[in-house]
Amino acid sequence: MSKKVDLSIDFLGVHCENPFFLSSSPVCHNYEMIAKCFDLGWGGVFYKTVGINGMNECSPRFDNVRKEDIGWVGFKNMEQISEHCWQENAEIIKRLKHDYPTKVMGVSIMGANEEEWALLAREMTKAGADMLELNFSCPQMTSHAMGSDVGQTPELVEKYTRVVKENTNVPVIAKMTPNISHMEVPSKAAVKGGADAISSINTIKSICNLDLENVTGMPVVNGKSSISGYSGAAVKPIALRFLAQLKMDKDLANVPVSGIGGIETWQDAVEFLLLGAENLQVTTSVMQYGYRVVEDMKDGLEIFMLEHGFTSLRDFIGKALPNIIPCEDLDRDFQIIPEIHDDLCVRCGRCAISCYDGGHQAIEIEKGTRKPLITDKCVGCHLCLNVCPVLGAITPGFIKFKPGRTPHDVVIKHTYDR
Amino acid sequence: MTKVRQLPYGELAENGLNIRLAMEEATRCLLCDDAPCSHDCPAGTDPGRFIRAIRFRNFKGAARIIRENNILGATCAEICPQERLCEKACSRCGIDKPINIGRLQAFAMSMEKDMKFQVLEAGKPCGKKVACIGAGPSSLAVAAELAKKGVSVTILDENEKAGGVLRYGITPSRLSDDVIDQDIKAVTDLGVKIVLNKHVSKDDLCALMAEYDAVYVGVGQSASKMIPNMKGADLKGVDTALPFLKKARIANGKIGDLGNVVIIGGGDVAMDCASTARQCGAKSVTVSFVETWETMPASKKEVDYVVDLGVTIIPAFKPLEVIGDDKVSAVKLAAMEGNSSMTLDADTVIFAVGQKVSDDYKDIKADGKLFVGGDAALVRGATVVEAVKSGKEIAEAIAKFLQI
Ligand SMILES: Cc1cc2nc3c(=O)[nH]c(=O)nc-3n(C[C@H](O)[C@H](O)[C@H](O)COP(=O)(O)OP(=O)(O)OC[C@H]3O[C@@H](n4cnc5c(N)ncnc54)[C@H](O)[C@@H]3O)c2cc1C
Ligand SMILES: Cc1cc2nc3c(=O)[nH]c(=O)nc-3n(C[C@H](O)[C@H](O)[C@H](O)COP(=O)(O)O)c2cc1C
Ligand code: SF4
Ligand code: SF4
Ligand code: SF4
Repeated sequence: MSKKVDLSIDFLGVHCENPFFLSSSPVCHNYEMIAKCFDLGWGGVFYKTVGINGMNECSPRFDNVRKEDIGWVGFKNMEQISEHCWQENAEIIKRLKHDYPTKVMGVSIMGANEEEWALLAREMTKAGADMLELNFSCPQMTSHAMGSDVGQTPELVEKYTRVVKENTNVPVIAKMTPNISHMEVPSKAAVKGGADAISSINTIKSICNLDLENVTGMPVVNGKSSISGYSGAAVKPIALRFLAQLKMDKDLANVPVSGIGGIETWQDAVEFLLLGAENLQVTTSVMQYGYRVVEDMKDGLEIFMLEHGFTSLRDFIGKALPNIIPCEDLDRDFQIIPEIHDDLCVRCGRCAISCYDGGHQAIEIEKGTRKPLITDKCVGCHLCLNVCPVLGAITPGFIKFKPGRTPHDVVIKHTYDR
Repeated sequence: MTKVRQLPYGELAENGLNIRLAMEEATRCLLCDDAPCSHDCPAGTDPGRFIRAIRFRNFKGAARIIRENNILGATCAEICPQERLCEKACSRCGIDKPINIGRLQAFAMSMEKDMKFQVLEAGKPCGKKVACIGAGPSSLAVAAELAKKGVSVTILDENEKAGGVLRYGITPSRLSDDVIDQDIKAVTDLGVKIVLNKHVSKDDLCALMAEYDAVYVGVGQSASKMIPNMKGADLKGVDTALPFLKKARIANGKIGDLGNVVIIGGGDVAMDCASTARQCGAKSVTVSFVETWETMPASKKEVDYVVDLGVTIIPAFKPLEVIGDDKVSAVKLAAMEGNSSMTLDADTVIFAVGQKVSDDYKDIKADGKLFVGGDAALVRGATVVEAVKSGKEIAEAIAKFLQI
């Protein structure tokens, strides 16, 4: 059999056989589901947020965003926290911890006041939680004393985190909402309250589609709809941005982060790791494709590590952070003029349309041959390269220094594989 | 564009997919539960699993899955009759058309070439040694599976290059040397030794039996069948399929003036002869067989391909005689039903009416430390993917026999 590499990592002092966890959501809300996901190779879970009482949910509660023929670009849900009361959940957690001692049982909790937070922290710790994740971030709670309304108020975040810390001896992670411009602020409050780590992101407030039939949003709940959480592939860019901002803040740089948001492939996973995440959580791609997605996440990550000679995840966690810099610090001395490869070009002219209507009118179509030719008006924006339907037909060409700038070495991207 | 496809001998009939095109095709896959396509791959290549790997951009992982399951994964991608195997079972048929599993498999295997580590590793040496006669697909599969278990394996073949029918039968436009070499490298990387230009006679077999812990006979069907009592069969210009294809392969298509070619036979082998004759510059190529369009054994993919190349097909006619003095000048055919008959001018006539095990091995039976598989164990030749299946099973049986 072929080589295997070690994907394990110690996160907050808890040994995880791999960094892939289910994030708190319906993908992990009962014994059978979590047993199946463990059997298929997930490293751990953050158990569906436990509250004092079970929730009263609406129906239907999901919608998705399509782009041309691709569905599930993004996913919207109107679900709250666990449908079970805390006692039932404690029972399930106890059994899972007993039957799967090497897997990591994170448990997400949410209270409405200090007493509730304290009780949940105590009881879930007693049930066997290896870590507690504090849900300060569900954007569609029916109570405004809970969820993202709390997460947007640093004082409450600090207060509740402290209460939890006082009632548990396991690591505590604060799960933050992206429905805020600076996640660093409540994150620092959580750390001040004693949080050991941050989880980011929960879902983004959204209205995905309007239903023209009933003149309301989707999904339609008895003729009405609500603003609620958006997740899946479409939110990855936003999740990565929050992650980078947390890791680049000097006060938070050393606070471990569990990365969440749109992870579907091993490449997504590597991107989160390169920006400093030490643990990874997934919901939407599991809802769409099943627990089996972890197989290619693990396999692809392992091959990536083998090929780069990495023996531990820590060899590359955070490696991309020094290369994410403020806009004002970018080298603006040059333009990379693209090259159109005549042998691959199929003469569709999409590059010329986009360059004209969205760029700099720098592509001329040769009469008769339909061949696109790049002229001196080109500014090197690479809109054409992004729009071209043929992989490799337009690639970065030559580097042109702006008048008066001193030529120097420039690092460029050569291979495009999407 | 001309209606007839011009394809020089050896030039590939189909282009590979790049990442974007592979993703488009993989996105069509429904990612079925308990994938039906996987159930219908004889060798257990598990297309449902490797397509999912492609879909989740785990391209090299896809290559690894294929290689672990099917040592001839790159070859099978090109020449499996997918339309009656994996693709026939594809759930997507219920929507429009099946996933192009062969192309996706070929794409994944093309990614293997960039892999910076060896996918398969030999097992810990167990001290046993096995000889395989013939370097065709079945022996290659037996050898790879045993090497993974730590057996020291030596393959012996009479030809100059390894591959059996892959190398000397199937045409290079359908299966390039590069692809065969990629698969054979995976076998030799496991430490399997291949001894070439070594014909193993009955006597040699006895010696091998004495020297090795087990011997596998994977000699395939290397003799040509002929229609009994065919008048004119020994005229100059009359040939059978295997020697004709081998000659073309060795001479890289430069086998002189074939003139008008008539091929007798309706199977894939006949189709390979037809495309080869066409690509070697024959003036005209006609294929005739006794079966009807419906019952002819050749796969639809092969028939479409030769028709594209400008080959004429005449179903439901049987050959009566080959006409000529010293050299063939025509073939006389009669309709299977009714009284029609025709005489076709011919400078070359190729009989592709089946292959059989060579005389040396035709009665050989598995016995004790002697194992027989692949086409050599069959009355009628099968496919490469079934030879791999047979090889995997026999490797298990040998391992059991050797108690490893
Ligand atoms: C023209 C042609 C086209 C085909 N096309 C397809 C196709 O498109 N798809 C598909 O799936 N299948 C196809 N097949 C069938 C497929 O190739 C065979 O089923 C498969 O190759 C059988 O593998 P094997 O290992 O049993 O034997 P072979 O491939 O026949 O290999 C046997 C090897 O043993 C050697 N050998 C024989 N006797 C001796 C000896 N005494 N000493 C040393 N060496 C010896 C032979 O020279 C040969 O190299 C085709 C077959 C032919 C003939
Ligand atoms: C249906 C659904 C229910 C969710 N329920 C919870 C929850 O109970 N607690 C929580 O912390 N996050 C919850 N989330 C948010 C996810 O855990 C996760 O943070 C978010 O979906 C982004 O990750 P993803 O893109 O992988 O889905 C829920 C998400 C979805 C889609
Ligand atoms: S790089 Fe921008 S400006 Fe230049 S040709 Fe392409 S689209 Fe036009
Ligand atoms: S090996 Fe052949 S039959 Fe099996 S999945 Fe691949 S192409 Fe299909
Ligand atoms: S049966 Fe077809 S659609 Fe289903 S997994 Fe296999 S290739 Fe995909």
